[in-house]
Amino acid sequence: MPSVALLDQALITGILTGGLYGLLALGLSLSWGLLRLVNIGHFAIALLGAYLTWWMGTSFGIAPWWTGIVIVLAFFVYGIALHWVFMRFGITEMQSMLITFALAVIVESILQFLWTADFRRYDTAWGTQSWVIGALYVPKLSFIAFVVAALLAGGTWAWLRYTYVGRALRACAEDAPIAAAFGINHRGLSFLLSGLCAAYAGVAGVFIALIATLAPSQIWAWVGIVFAVVIIGRLGNPLGALMGGILIGLCEALTMAIVNPSWAPLVSFSVLIALLLFKPRWI
Amino acid sequence: MLLEIEDLAVGYGGAPAIWDIALQVDEREVVSVIGPNGAGKSTLINTIAGLLRAERGRLRLGGADLIAVPAHQVCRHGVALVPEGRRLFAGMTVEENLEIGCFRPEARKDRAKSLERVYGLFPALYEKRQQLSGTLSGGQQQMVAIGRAMMAEPRLLLLDEPSLGLAPAVVGEMFRAITAIQAEGVAILLVEQNVAQAMEIADRAYVLEEGRIVAAGLPAELLSQSRIKEAYLGL
Amino acid sequence: MDLRRGRIGVIAALIVLAIFIAIPATDVTPFYLAFLYLIFFWISMATSWTILSGFAGYWSFGHAAFFGTGVYTAATLATKFGWPFLATLPAAGLLAAALGTGVGWLVFRLQRLRGEFFALITISLTFVIAAIVSNTDIDGGSGVYLISVQMPEFFGSPDGTIYTLGLVFAALSLMIAWWVYRSRMGLGLFAIHDDEDVAEVKGVPTFRYKLGAIALSSGIAGAVGGVYSIYVSYVTVGETFEITVIMYPVVMSIFGGSRHWLGPALGAVVVTVALYGFPAGPEAALARGGVALGLILVVLLLPQGVMPSVIRGWRAVAPRSLVPPRLLPEPLVPAPRTDELAADDRGVPVLECRDVVKTFGGVQALKGVTLDVRQGEILGLVGPNGSGKSTLINVITGHFRIDRGSITFAGQPIGDLPAHRVARLGIARSYQIPRPFNHLTVLDNVALAASFGDGHGETEARRMAAHWLGYTGLARKAFDLPPQLNLHERKFLELARGLAARPRVLMLDEVLSGLNNTEIDEALTLMRDIRDRGTTIIFVEHLMRAVVALSDRVAVLNNGTLIALGTPGETMSNREVERVYLGTAHAS
Repeated sequence: MPSVALLDQALITGILTGGLYGLLALGLSLSWGLLRLVNIGHFAIALLGAYLTWWMGTSFGIAPWWTGIVIVLAFFVYGIALHWVFMRFGITEMQSMLITFALAVIVESILQFLWTADFRRYDTAWGTQSWVIGALYVPKLSFIAFVVAALLAGGTWAWLRYTYVGRALRACAEDAPIAAAFGINHRGLSFLLSGLCAAYAGVAGVFIALIATLAPSQIWAWVGIVFAVVIIGRLGNPLGALMGGILIGLCEALTMAIVNPSWAPLVSFSVLIALLLFKPRWI
Repeated sequence: MLLEIEDLAVGYGGAPAIWDIALQVDEREVVSVIGPNGAGKSTLINTIAGLLRAERGRLRLGGADLIAVPAHQVCRHGVALVPEGRRLFAGMTVEENLEIGCFRPEARKDRAKSLERVYGLFPALYEKRQQLSGTLSGGQQQMVAIGRAMMAEPRLLLLDEPSLGLAPAVVGEMFRAITAIQAEGVAILLVEQNVAQAMEIADRAYVLEEGRIVAAGLPAELLSQSRIKEAYLGL
Repeated sequence: MDLRRGRIGVIAALIVLAIFIAIPATDVTPFYLAFLYLIFFWISMATSWTILSGFAGYWSFGHAAFFGTGVYTAATLATKFGWPFLATLPAAGLLAAALGTGVGWLVFRLQRLRGEFFALITISLTFVIAAIVSNTDIDGGSGVYLISVQMPEFFGSPDGTIYTLGLVFAALSLMIAWWVYRSRMGLGLFAIHDDEDVAEVKGVPTFRYKLGAIALSSGIAGAVGGVYSIYVSYVTVGETFEITVIMYPVVMSIFGGSRHWLGPALGAVVVTVALYGFPAGPEAALARGGVALGLILVVLLLPQGVMPSVIRGWRAVAPRSLVPPRLLPEPLVPAPRTDELAADDRGVPVLECRDVVKTFGGVQALKGVTLDVRQGEILGLVGPNGSGKSTLINVITGHFRIDRGSITFAGQPIGDLPAHRVARLGIARSYQIPRPFNHLTVLDNVALAASFGDGHGETEARRMAAHWLGYTGLARKAFDLPPQLNLHERKFLELARGLAARPRVLMLDEVLSGLNNTEIDEALTLMRDIRDRGTTIIFVEHLMRAVVALSDRVAVLNNGTLIALGTPGETMSNREVERVYLGTAHAS
C-alpha cells in the first residue's frame, strides 16, 4: 500500500490534472450539447495551440501570454469559419464527427511534418516551480491552469444562466423554432458559440504547452478521457465539465499511485463505457 | 385591421396544407378558428408566427408585410405564439422560460413590469418560478406558455389549442385568463378543438375544413348551422 | 437478363482472381508483392467495416480493437503455444468475432446507443483492449517478435504465402459483403440503417441481424489481423491499436461508397496507392493529411461516396441489356392468405385488448382499454389529439410493451412480443407521416415488407412487391427513391408496404390526411376492396365523413379510455362523444 503522503500527493495531482481535462472538455461539451456538433478536432486545435505557444516561445522568445492572446483570437475566427462550413453544407451530427476527425488527422500530420514526431518540451525558468506544503508539492503552473479552468467554467455557466444571450442559447438547443418565434436568431448565436468553443481550445493549448510534453499523437490520448469527462458532466454543462474532469483526473492519479501508471487509460475509457451502457440518472 | 390575410397558401413538400385563406383580426378582438383535427389550424397559426413559410398570399400585421420576414424578426411586429403542446424549454426554470419571452430588446426594458403582470395573471407560477418547467403539471405548463408569450408584450396573441389535454377545471381557469388578457387590449387569434369553449369567448369565428375556410361569422350564427357538426362528427 | 448480367459478373471476378493468383508465380519482386498485399489487407479491412457500419449504419470507430485482437491472438498462439501459423488464423477470427458479438449483445439492446454513442463506445473499446494487452503478458509492453515463426511457403517464399493469404481474405470478404448485400439480411440491414424502429415493425429481426453484422465484421478484421502479424513480424501495442487502423477503413468506405459492397474496395485501392506511394518520413505524414482532406471533400460533396456515381455513369453508357430488368408488374390477382380466411370466420374476434394500460413517465396514455376487433371488419378508431390512438397502435404492433392487461391475436397473447414477431404473426401498420426507408427504392421498400412480413425469399418478395405497387398505382415509381415521391404517393407507399405483408389485421394511421377529394375517394375504394378480400382494417382518421362512410364499427377514445363503440350512426350521435368533440363551455 502506498504511503499517506503519496496518496495525498496523488489527490492534488489528480485534481489539478482534472482541471486541465475540464478546460479541454469545456468547448467540446458546449458545442455538442448546445449545437449538436461533435467536434473531435477540438483536441487537435488545442494541441496546435500548444505547439504554436512552444514554437513562438523557444524560437522567438515570445512570452506565452502574448502568443495566447493571438491564438485565442485566431481560434475564435477559426471556430466561426468551421461553423460556417457546417451550416453551408447542412452537416449532421455524424458527419460533423467525421469531418472534425479528418481535421484532427490533418492537424496531426502538419504538426508531424513541421516538428517531427519527437517529444517537445517548453522549458522555462518558472515552469517547474512549486509551492511546498509539508511533504506535498503544488506545481504553480498546474494550479494556475486549474484556476483559469474554474474561472472559465464558472463564468460560462453564469453566462448561460444569467444573461439573455446565454439563456437564448439554451433555449435554441431545446427548441430552436420556438426560440426563433421569440426573436432569437439561432444562426448568429451559434456562430458566437462555435467561436467561443474554439477559443477555449486555444486557452487549453497554451497551458498544455507549459505543463505537458508535446507529441502530435497526443491528440488521440485525449479523445477517450475528455469524452468521458463531457458525458459525466452532462452535455452542455460547463460546471459539469469541470467536475467530470476532476473526477477522471482523480481516478487516473489514484490508479497511477496505487496500481501502475500504464493502467491509467483503462480507467477513463472503462468509466466512459460504463456510463454509456448504464447511463445513470445524473448524467 | 391588425391582422390581414388574403389568398394565403401553405404546403409541405408539394402538398398544400391550407389554401385560399382570407382572415382578419381587428384590434382588441378575439377571433376563433375551429375545425376538426388535420384541417390545417396549426399550419395557419404557425405561418402567422413565422415558423412556416407561405407559398403564396398576403400576410400583413399592423400595416407591415410579414410574408418574407425571417422567423426571428416576426415577433418585433407584435405577434406572440402559444404553440400547440406548449413546447416549453423543459430544462429551464419557469422564470427563465418567461424571460425568453421578453428576449426582444424593446420587451426587455419592461421585464419587471411584465413579470409582475404574468404572476398577477397566474399566481401559482410565482411560487414555482425557480422550478424546472418540465416538472410542472400540464395546466401549469400551459400557464407558463401563455405567460411566456405575454412577456413579449404582443399586440396579437396566437393561441394554438390551449385546452389540449387539460382537466376541465383547469380549462376553465385558462379561458378566464384569456378573457383577462383580452380585457387588457390584446387581440387574440384562438385555434381550438373545443368548439363550445372557443365560441363562447370569440367575437367572430372561422370554420376551417380540409385546408379551406368554409364558413365565417358570428359564433351564434355558426353554431346554429349544421356545418360544424358535419365536420366534427361526420353526420 | 438478370441471370446473364450475374454470369458476366462472376466470370469477370474469376478472371481477376486468376490473374492475381498467378502473379507470385511470375518473377515479380517482393516489394510489389508486399504492396499488393497491403492493398488486399485494406480491401478486407474496409469491406469488413462496411458490413456493419455502412450497411447497418452503426458506425464503428473501434475496428482496431477487433483487428488488434486478431493480431495478438495469432502472435500469442504462434509464439507462446507453438501453434502452426495457419491454424492461428481461424482462432484469431473467432476470438475477434466473439468479442464483437459480446459487445453487440451488450450494446444493441439499448436503443439510445446509436450514432455517435456507438462510435464512442467502440473507440473506447479499442483503448481498453490496448491497455489490457500492453499491461499483461500478452504483450508485456515490449512487443512480440514473430521472426522465428515457421511459415508454409506458397510459391517458394513466405512473401508468396502472405500475398496469397491476403488475396484469399480479400476475396472472401468481398464475397461475404456481396452475399450480405444481395440477401434478405442485407435488405434488413439497409432498413435498419434508414429507420430501425420501422424495420422492426415491418418484421426485421433487428437485434439478430445487427449481431450477425458485427460478428462477420469483427471476425474478418480479426482473421486479417492474424495475417498482418506475420507480415510485420514484430507487433507492438502502439502500432496495432493505432488511430490510422480506425480511420482508414472509415475513410476508404466513405470515399468509395459505404452502401455498396464494392465501394470500400474501390476506396481501399485509391487510398492505399495514395498512402504507400510515399516513402516514410515527413511526406508520409502529409500524405495522411491529404487523405483526411479527401475525406472531408467527399463527405461534403459526395455524401454517398464515389461508387454510386460510378454505377450511375456506367449505367448511362452501358448497353440496355445490362441494365437490371425493370420489373413490370404482371396483372396478378391479389392473393390473400387463403389458409386463414374461411368465410364463416367473419365476425369472430381476431384481436382482443383486455384492460390495456400504458404509462409514460407518470402519465397514463391508456387507462385500461378493452376492445375486440372482429375478423373482416373495418373498425374506425377516432378521438381527439392525445386521446391515446397512436399509443394503442404502438402497443398492438409491439413497438411499446404494455404495463398491464393483455393483447391477444388469433388466440395468442402478443403483449410481450417484440415488434418483428408481431409483424410476422400478421399485423401490419402504416404511419401517419410516411416513414419509408429513404435509401431503398420504392420497390425494395415494399419487397422488404413482403419478405419479412409474409416470409418470401428475395426474388419472390420483389415479384410480390411489384404486384402490390401495381395494386396501389405506384408501378411507374418502382425504381425511384421515396424522397422523390409526393405526399400522396408516399401515403400509398405506406399502404403498399402494409399490404405486402399480407396481414390479417392492417392498421392505417391517417392515410387520408393531406389528400384531395379525388385521392380520398380512390383510397376509400381501395380500402373497401382490401376489406372485401378478407383483411381486417383498423383505421385512425380525423376526417369524419370518411370514418362514417367506411367503418363497420367506430371506437372512440378520449383521454386514454374507450368512451363509445358501435355503428357509426349510434357512436357519433352519442352525447358523450359529442361533448368530447364539440366541447363544453367552462368560462363563467
